[in-house]
Amino acid sequence: MSGIVGYGTYIPKYRLKLSEIAQMWGKEPSEIEGGLRISEKAVAGSDEDAVTMGIEASRKAIAAAGLKPTDLQSVYFGSESHPYAVNPSSTIAGEYLGIGNNYFAADLEFACKAATAGMQITLGLLDSKKIDYGLVIGSDTAQGKPHDALEYTAASTAAAYILGNKKSEVIASVLQMSSFTSDTPDFWRREGAKFPSHFGRFTGEPAYFTHVLSEGEKLLKSSKLKPKDFSFCVFHMPNGKFPRAAAKKLGFTPEQLAPSLTVDKIGNPYSASSLLGLAAVLDIAKPKQKIFFVSYGSGAGSDGFVFEITPEITKHQKKTVPVEKQIEDKIYISYQQYLRQSHIL
Amino acid sequence: MRIGILSEARAVRGPERSRGRMYSMKINILGTATTKFGELWDISPRELAREAMSGALRASGLRPSQIDALFVGNMLSGILGNQTNLASLIVEELGAQVPAFRIEGACASGGLALHNAINSLNAGKYKTVLVLGLEKMTDHSQDEITSALSAAGSDEERMSGLTFPGIYALMAKAYMQAYNVSEETLAAVSVKNHYHGSFNPKAQFQSIITVGDVMRSPKVADPLKLLDCSPVSDGASAVVITSDILIKSKNPVTIIASEVATDTLGLYTRKSFTSLSAVVTACQKAYQAAKIKPTDIDVAEIHDCFSISEAIAVEDLGFSKKGEGAKDIADGKTTLFKGKIICNPSGGLKACGHPVGATGIKQIVEITEQLRGTAGRRQVKGAKIGLTHNVGGSGAVAAIHILKGSAI
Amino acid sequence: MRTSPVKLWRRQKDTIAVIGKTGKILLWTIIRVPAKTFTDQAPYPVVIVKMDDGKKMVGQLVDFAKENLITGQKVQAVLRRLKTEGQEDAIYYHIKFRPI
Repeated sequence: MSGIVGYGTYIPKYRLKLSEIAQMWGKEPSEIEGGLRISEKAVAGSDEDAVTMGIEASRKAIAAAGLKPTDLQSVYFGSESHPYAVNPSSTIAGEYLGIGNNYFAADLEFACKAATAGMQITLGLLDSKKIDYGLVIGSDTAQGKPHDALEYTAASTAAAYILGNKKSEVIASVLQMSSFTSDTPDFWRREGAKFPSHFGRFTGEPAYFTHVLSEGEKLLKSSKLKPKDFSFCVFHMPNGKFPRAAAKKLGFTPEQLAPSLTVDKIGNPYSASSLLGLAAVLDIAKPKQKIFFVSYGSGAGSDGFVFEITPEITKHQKKTVPVEKQIEDKIYISYQQYLRQSHIL
Repeated sequence: MRIGILSEARAVRGPERSRGRMYSMKINILGTATTKFGELWDISPRELAREAMSGALRASGLRPSQIDALFVGNMLSGILGNQTNLASLIVEELGAQVPAFRIEGACASGGLALHNAINSLNAGKYKTVLVLGLEKMTDHSQDEITSALSAAGSDEERMSGLTFPGIYALMAKAYMQAYNVSEETLAAVSVKNHYHGSFNPKAQFQSIITVGDVMRSPKVADPLKLLDCSPVSDGASAVVITSDILIKSKNPVTIIASEVATDTLGLYTRKSFTSLSAVVTACQKAYQAAKIKPTDIDVAEIHDCFSISEAIAVEDLGFSKKGEGAKDIADGKTTLFKGKIICNPSGGLKACGHPVGATGIKQIVEITEQLRGTAGRRQVKGAKIGLTHNVGGSGAVAAIHILKGSAI
Repeated sequence: MRTSPVKLWRRQKDTIAVIGKTGKILLWTIIRVPAKTFTDQAPYPVVIVKMDDGKKMVGQLVDFAKENLITGQKVQAVLRRLKTEGQEDAIYYHIKFRPI
């Protein structure tokens, strides 16, 4: 059964407190933080982009999996902030990782679920034995327009997952996978536009919740499992409120959700959001535990996975740089510095 | 001389390469001239060339038709002015259609042009040649100039974000760490050179400055501040040299050594960050060729592109012990009227100005005046032997010349 | 300074060989008057690094705090964007150093 054989994450060092943003626009910090349930977000350095971060995360994944770069036979790179509109991030990453020339590659876009879609593609290649190992990267330097609601949450991070099909190497096998997809224009970015646009409250119930809950219910039904059968649940985190509400709606407890809530200190790094939450859970998960995972991408769709942890996880955890450690490794910057680094000024 | 081609795979090795050569010809300086150095907004490169060349010819008592060839030292005409084929342009301003060559070695372009001119005389190909050093910088923005000057370093240095001052700042850091020298001590170099410049009517800056002024000036690349750095300047200097013993000169000055040496293009791979091996090698060959010791030098023009450069130079040239250069300068050991070996009586690059390609020739002009006793208020009394020290980039190439006055 | 996609491509192998390698700072300076290419990044530190394999390298220092600017500070080579390009330029990826 195919599954995860290695993972790595990269969180840039810089943090911007939400209170700094709130003060800039004359808003009450406690109101903003209370509403969004986020206190600070990760900001990329001025010379970082989705590709440089993706490479850092991938290097960690390759090292933790104990593989050689040339073992990888596919690279799917999901992002909303690919450095080029035309010129694949997947091959820039592939080249600088030293993967060689014998691999499938493509760039993906599906808002915040581009990378989880990449995982589905890779699992297809693995299950059909076309490849032995595949790399999936979710990485974003998310931008929010100044004075817009998204400014508080849009963040930067990269997550890399290596998937394989050898039972002796899989640390989390995929028991079930499916998607719930529709055309729902809740959040978009036109070609050439610097910042995304969104339709306010329309991004909630008809968009995020419809797809996450529909996919969540589909997943429970097809796997014949109940929420209490799971040790952890992970959802896409556009803010701190939505995943908490989705978890509750589907019947999960706050304790099952808590370990994945990286959004509180990092913000929403779009394509890396749910995968960062998953990594935080994998950092502490034990063999035989099950993880319930539903991502969300505007436009819209949700990818669902049921993971089961294997005994191989212990070996991997010894080599991982934990998400928690990276969250705490930080330098605070001012709002002005943030404008400079994000190339808004 | 038969010119043959050696086997391409064979290199000439052995002690020969490091020995300074004796000259077959006696190289005399017939006449010199220099324009003012500074921000010469209304003077074009052609006008600068004309002024310097006609002045040198007049001082030599020669007509343009008596010049056999023209050598031009210049760094930036291609990068900034979009003009290469420069020698052909300058020849138009000479007034005689002679063979002409442009020599480039970053800030050592002038010294290298002179070295090549001397070689042509020694080879017997030409007898009397004019060497011009020329640079026009102020037509361009500070941004462009900073970028252009970084062409003197290596690509790795440029891509690391280093600027030319940044490279020397690293040297300053290494020097200050190694020898426990303060920024204030280094500042004394600029103070001395401004003092000297106040006696030079051709200098860009003729104002006195203090150590406090240097310390208060804005940082360019830590620890170097604005007043640690030579300025952006326009200017041209020219010299006429000859091997023709039939041309009598009233007050001849002879070039008794002309040596060049190279080192790595970039700073960071070198063994030492506090010494320029190209300077050490070139001056050792020069002292050998001239049959003198460093202490025989009465007056020198040093390439102080930055204050740290002069501190390192006086050590490399053998004037000061290793690690004591900055201190010696601060103690006045190279200052006009009180020092032993007077360095940069012209004001150096810092105060006289640094039109890059012109500097090497201006140094020759200054030493010639000193050895002839015509340096006016900045005369070094009884100067008999002088040295010019011209460096390209962060020490990738060095040209050393030793001049002798006819008093001996 | 000239960058070209061909140069970038030609140097890939050399760059790949250095990513992730570690060394120590030998010397540092802070560039305050930059060349045109780096105007938006100034001021920034540049360091000469002695890599663990003995080779010397020079590069920009990123993600640093003031106390990292000392001789002997351990650093790691990372891949970053060389500069902020124009809208139509190819992106030049290059080695920089960060304290570890």
